Amino acid sequence: MRISELPEIGTKYEIESPKGDKVAVIFLTTGEIELYVLEAGAEKPSVTRLTPEEARRVGSVLTGALLTIEHEDVEVSFSDISDLRINIHVCPVTKGMVGKSIEDLAIRKRTGVTIIALSRKGQSIISPPPETVFEEGDLIVALGEREQIKACAREILGQV
Amino acid sequence: MTFLVDLASVTVSCLVLGLASKYLRQTAIPAYIIAGIILGKSGFDLISSEASYEFIQWLGRVGVILLMFYIGYEFNFKGIKEPGRLFAGCTDFGVNFIAGFALGLLIGMSLIETFILASAVYISSSAIVISSLIENKRLIYPEAETVVWLMVFEDIILAILLVVLTSIMAGSLAMIPVCLATTLLLIVFTFILIKRLSNFISPLFERDDEIPILLIFALIFGFSAIAYLLSILLPCHISEVIIAFFLGSALSGVKSSRKLFEATISFKNLFLTIFFFSFGMMFQFQFATLFSAYFILVLFALITLSVSGKFISGALIGKRLHGSLETGLRVGAYTTPRGEFSIVLLAVVIGTRTGNYELLVSLIVAYVIILSIVGSGFAKHGDRIGKAITGSINKLMKSER
Repeated sequence: MRISELPEIGTKYEIESPKGDKVAVIFLTTGEIELYVLEAGAEKPSVTRLTPEEARRVGSVLTGALLTIEHEDVEVSFSDISDLRINIHVCPVTKGMVGKSIEDLAIRKRTGVTIIALSRKGQSIISPPPETVFEEGDLIVALGEREQIKACAREILGQV
Repeated sequence: MTFLVDLASVTVSCLVLGLASKYLRQTAIPAYIIAGIILGKSGFDLISSEASYEFIQWLGRVGVILLMFYIGYEFNFKGIKEPGRLFAGCTDFGVNFIAGFALGLLIGMSLIETFILASAVYISSSAIVISSLIENKRLIYPEAETVVWLMVFEDIILAILLVVLTSIMAGSLAMIPVCLATTLLLIVFTFILIKRLSNFISPLFERDDEIPILLIFALIFGFSAIAYLLSILLPCHISEVIIAFFLGSALSGVKSSRKLFEATISFKNLFLTIFFFSFGMMFQFQFATLFSAYFILVLFALITLSVSGKFISGALIGKRLHGSLETGLRVGAYTTPRGEFSIVLLAVVIGTRTGNYELLVSLIVAYVIILSIVGSGFAKHGDRIGKAITGSINKLMKSER
């Protein structure tokens, strides 16, 4: 990886593959991001200009990191551990859960799913303790295998 | 209230011609100068009064101060350590400055006019060069870094040239060292003062009200005013734009100044447009001179010389830094556009005394208008031009054998 400063333009990050293909990411001073791909031997590069939000999404896909999608399942796989696939489910708490704690609901025991985070009024609680009581409007982030997530949706959230 | 009418004609004419040039995918700088020529003294003289003319010129001068402040702030020396860069910068300066200087002497200009002409020929337009690198999708190529660096190096030389040229313009020979010394002292003073005050200034920049923007303009105008007052006090010329440049450079080291700096950019864009207009507006256009065979011949020679100058310096730089003639020719093609700096340099150095330098001013104005347009064309097709020239050189070599 080569990093170079381009005054008045921005910062350039450049990678060349063994085949001679080049990929460059340029963070423009305007805040936008340009993505260059130059195939070995090609006359002209392909270029696209991304907003920071779009660039983050592309980056998340490439690194296999967590995605920020609400009410949706995200499957994360890791390039180093090919058989590990983790599902992350983000959803709002349902009526039946309000006023009960994680311990009361015995979420892990019943479904194998772990609640890894909780978003309450715009603030996040990472690894909430088992005595945490759910409130209306909370968003929960649950982690588990695909089957476990399904079981959780069925038994805890009451979704079909 | 006639000011209002005049301001309307300035902004509307610039808007219309500027928009037209953007649609034609051309750089807008010549459009603004042409708008000024049409509405100004040598055109239809549509500006209502002498006072208005002066007012517009003042706004334009603010534009130049803000431009130099901008360049000073963005300026960073860090790149100079990379191998070959100093060579690249010096080659660019050496080849092109000498080319301009030789032509100036050849057509019998005075030494000082020759100096100004050579500077205007040397300096490329950062605005056009950089935007064409982005638009033509050249940023992934290694020569893009070299070109951007050349623009930075030209900024250093521009600052030095301005200091030297304004001092020389002081008039009497004895005043030149005095001017030079005062300017340098003022630059040092600016740096020390900003460094001393930085603990006091930077919390003020963090406020959310109008204080930060007031502060940054107070600094810009304050230091410019010091330069102006000093040049009245001592009968010599200390350019306020040089001080603005170094003020920007000093402020870039102050914490949390970046947001405010960004806030000044739109002011710079507006007032710089008015500057180009005002430059065209004051231009004494004389058909007899402009269409004389002599003038056209000189202009043609100047353009040919400066285009080939940039190609030659580009080729030398490419050979040395990238080991390839073709890459070098591309560097040459990208750096051919001339624009804002040639005009700014001319305006700062000779001020409003255009009458005394009629040939020089007409020459540079026509030169910039043509080379900003032609140069953007070169920059756009740089890869094809590079290939075509190396192709024909190779053919020549083969047939010689």
